[in-house]
Amino acid sequence: MTSLLLRRLAALVPVTLGVATLTFAMIHLVPGDPVVAMLGENAQPADIAGMRHQLGLDRPLWRQYLTFLGGLARGDLGESISMHEPVAGAIADRYPATLELAGAGLVVAILLAFPLGIIAGANPGGAADVGAMGFAILGISVPHVCLGPLLMIVFSLLLGWLPLTGRGGLSHLILPAVTLGTAIAAILARMLRQSLARVIGADYMRTARGKGLSRTAAIIRHGLRNALTPVITLIGLEAGALLTGSIVTEIIFSWPGLGRLLISAIGNRDYPLVEGCVLVFALSYVVINMVTDLVYSAADPRIRIGPQ
Amino acid sequence: MIRRNPSLFVGAATVALVAIVALLGPFAVRADPLAIDLSRSLAPPGPGHWLGCDSLGRDMLARMVWGSRLSLAVSTSVVVFSLIAGSLIGGTAALAGGRIDGLVMRAVDIVLAFPGFLLAIALAAILGPGLLDLVLALTAMGWTGYARLVRGQVLSLREREYVEAARALGAGDGRLLWRHLLPGIAGPLAVQATFGVGGIIVAEAALSFLGLGARPPAPSWGNMLDAGRQFLLVAPHLTTVPGAAIGLSVLGFNLLGDGIAQAVGHRD
Amino acid sequence: MIRGFVYCCSIALALNACAKHAPLAPPTYLQVDINVSPATLDPRFATDAISERIDELIHDGMVRADRGGEFAGDLAESIERPAPTRLIFHLRRGIRFSDGRGLTARDVKYTYDSVLDPASSSLKRAGLAEMSSLRVLDDYTVEMTTWRPFAPALAMATLGVVPAGSGFARARIGFAPPGTGAFRLARFTPDEAIVLARNPYHPHPRDSVPGIVFKVVPEATVRALEMVEGICDFTENDGVQPDLIPYLASHRDLAIEESPGTTFQYLIFNFRDPRLRDLRMRRAIAYALDRNQFVESMLRGTARVATGMLTPENWAYAGKVTRYQYDPAAAKHLLEEAGFTPGDPRLSFVYKTTPEGRRLAEALQAMLRRAGIRLEIRTSEWATFYADLTRGNFDLASSQLVGIADPREYYLIYDSKELPPQGMNRGAYSSPEMDRLVEAGDTELDPIARRKIYARVQQLAALDLPYLPLWWVDNVTVLNRRLRGFEPYPNGSLRSLAAATYVPSPARHRFDD
Repeated sequence: MTSLLLRRLAALVPVTLGVATLTFAMIHLVPGDPVVAMLGENAQPADIAGMRHQLGLDRPLWRQYLTFLGGLARGDLGESISMHEPVAGAIADRYPATLELAGAGLVVAILLAFPLGIIAGANPGGAADVGAMGFAILGISVPHVCLGPLLMIVFSLLLGWLPLTGRGGLSHLILPAVTLGTAIAAILARMLRQSLARVIGADYMRTARGKGLSRTAAIIRHGLRNALTPVITLIGLEAGALLTGSIVTEIIFSWPGLGRLLISAIGNRDYPLVEGCVLVFALSYVVINMVTDLVYSAADPRIRIGPQ
Repeated sequence: MIRRNPSLFVGAATVALVAIVALLGPFAVRADPLAIDLSRSLAPPGPGHWLGCDSLGRDMLARMVWGSRLSLAVSTSVVVFSLIAGSLIGGTAALAGGRIDGLVMRAVDIVLAFPGFLLAIALAAILGPGLLDLVLALTAMGWTGYARLVRGQVLSLREREYVEAARALGAGDGRLLWRHLLPGIAGPLAVQATFGVGGIIVAEAALSFLGLGARPPAPSWGNMLDAGRQFLLVAPHLTTVPGAAIGLSVLGFNLLGDGIAQAVGHRD
Repeated sequence: MIRGFVYCCSIALALNACAKHAPLAPPTYLQVDINVSPATLDPRFATDAISERIDELIHDGMVRADRGGEFAGDLAESIERPAPTRLIFHLRRGIRFSDGRGLTARDVKYTYDSVLDPASSSLKRAGLAEMSSLRVLDDYTVEMTTWRPFAPALAMATLGVVPAGSGFARARIGFAPPGTGAFRLARFTPDEAIVLARNPYHPHPRDSVPGIVFKVVPEATVRALEMVEGICDFTENDGVQPDLIPYLASHRDLAIEESPGTTFQYLIFNFRDPRLRDLRMRRAIAYALDRNQFVESMLRGTARVATGMLTPENWAYAGKVTRYQYDPAAAKHLLEEAGFTPGDPRLSFVYKTTPEGRRLAEALQAMLRRAGIRLEIRTSEWATFYADLTRGNFDLASSQLVGIADPREYYLIYDSKELPPQGMNRGAYSSPEMDRLVEAGDTELDPIARRKIYARVQQLAALDLPYLPLWWVDNVTVLNRRLRGFEPYPNGSLRSLAAATYVPSPARHRFDD
């Protein structure tokens, strides 16, 4: 296990390098002059030249690349043009909000998926199955960009139960989390149902029933554990989707997270900030995937009961 | 038949509906989607404007029709390009084998390490406005799936006996590809492509919503959603109508994909 | 195991979410919703409208502009002009900054020095270009001299004063030096809220508002909802979306007031392009736009079609100028005359990206299309917008001038020498006649003669169309009737909040739930 962990961590380095290089390459292909955008209309040519020097934009591309990598290793991502503060600081300020939203989305997804998937899987072909899976396909099909405003209209404007936008107490978290988590809940529910339906017919289940367990207890105690492996993997895979989905969700709900920072940075042609945001998103994604890999590998040998 | 594979038929029907609206809509709906009439700003649905008017008094029905054309055109082109690019890359890698294969798969891994939608956002922001740039940005999101699929199929089929037999009989690589590889791949590719169209409709809507996709005044369901946001209180139809259209279209493609997967799965 | 994990996560999230909301300020404080966060509250750097409006409550200048755009003493008790190039300001005594320090002339000198200091990179430095020196004559007397007789010299004395030794970190957010105004800055969280508490050393009426919270709420819908729910007590201008006014008006505890405003919305023509140098083209565009329709339908009547930069309330306003009624036939005719075929002229258009701006852009595009002009809309956020303007990277642009007081502004926008990046003549307009007039207006000290000069400026501007005037945006304020004593200023100033009284609602939930 430890060697696996070390190997995975070691693999992290080239992936990080690849992602960072890809980000750098993309951003530095942008046309336009960031310095004039930064200093504004009254800037003197001398000021422009000075700022260009300060940002290191007058150096050859390969040197800028090395500085970028070096800064990354130290946690220094440059200074934001539009906000006049370090990029790393601006990102650190907003990252917790995105984590909160993504985490809540995951919780909502699990809370929605498990009852749906279990009910459907335990009664394959039944009315509950059809209903739950119908709900699931709807959930997969309606994207955040539609679901969010729809929930806003119903629960905030019409019913007045929840606040419309912004971050604040728990009530502010509900609509964005549901928006973010529904699609994933649907995918999880479907996977859980398939997984469970497959497992239900297995021998060890009949043994459990034979031993006197009720159907429900058998499902919960034995069936679920085996059905969970592919579901756990799926959670890991979809956790990355939570991150990218949070970008649109944050804009819809004016959630002050990293996604919103990225979009406004793009609008401001704030290159250092765009670069930093893209990098942090991508690296988070890489880390999540690595963790999923590890969890799957760790979980695997323990859950090898019954037919594969 | 319908009962055995309801997804296939409901999905196909929905997709057909969207396609009909996109193709024949401009003939049925005469109103100009770009013509403004400020005095009708935010008019609710009613006679004359069955889906109401937007903030500049433009007819929503006409804009929805033209939006469907954009969604379908962009998503099908993206899927076609992704399919071609991915298949070529994946197929070549598998056929070439060895180090080239390894290199290509490393490259695919790096692109995959990057969350797809983020890649699309970054590229759309860099490439700027314009439909071709949008298509390029979205293509970058999806080609890896096809590459992997094709590569996997080609690799597995390489080992099969009938391929060796055909080779022994003197069939060239091209013929092999056409006669033997394609039938095996067609099913999974069709499934992936169908889901792909649905996925790209969502991605395009999201990019347009963020201001990185189709720019106004060109009507796109995504940028109509964005424009409707500030009028949620007084004119919700600006949001509900395009939102419903997006949801319905994607639902159709997802159901169709499910249906095809079921049909293909039965054959195996 | 999974379930345990889920439970732990849920609990952690719930705790986190619940723990986070300490109220922003006591419920007796007035809440004002604003649509953008101020860039800075240091008067030496604040140039955007919202920063200046909030900063007015914290810092005072030696003079301030009154409703008609003329200058009255603020920190200065009296002002003398012993010579055309010399101004003497006698400061009031006994004024203290919010940290207790007494105000003296040295603080004034420090403030101006720090703006002029190149190290501060203050954008206000250009506005002090006419000043040749600022000297401390004694503890309460300041002398300002100008290079030449400069009529609007008092405009340079509106700069908010900070205590000597305040220092500066260029455009540092969240920081503001103490001021002598009615309020002091208690807390500044960028993009969230600005909390002002009373300046203990500034006299104020007994029952007046003890503090103000400016909450940054970017969506107009949410602002409207907060007004209706009683969470927010006041919002104005950019904070009020015209389409929501009927909705707001239907609530009885809200009062909506419209009064004439000075914000000037206009289109800039880029004279670097030969097509736009042709007067027929500019006139064609003027005739092609139905400005009445814009004001009535898009703005729901919250503006007045403009004839020029100055509003009728300004002392120098001249109303007898050429006006352009909506006449698409005339527009087409002029374009033909100028040698263009319909659909042929393609002009690029830039604007500051806001939802309202985008709506205007698309409407302009559609109207011009009818006249045969194709407008290409280029979106750019605020930073690139100003860059585009500076570099002349546009054909048409839409912009606003806020808080115009002295007609001196004409020099800054129309004089051929005031080219960007230093100057504000973004269209590169050049007219010897206009140059002569606006330069004369700067040095003419007799108000009556000056008025005549600017009347000619306005007539020439209407004939020659360096800018196309669109409208003057009204001051729209929406306030809860529990707030009394607020008086609107044409330039949107919030000064009167300092003397307003406010009865907080007893049963109200504030700041989330």
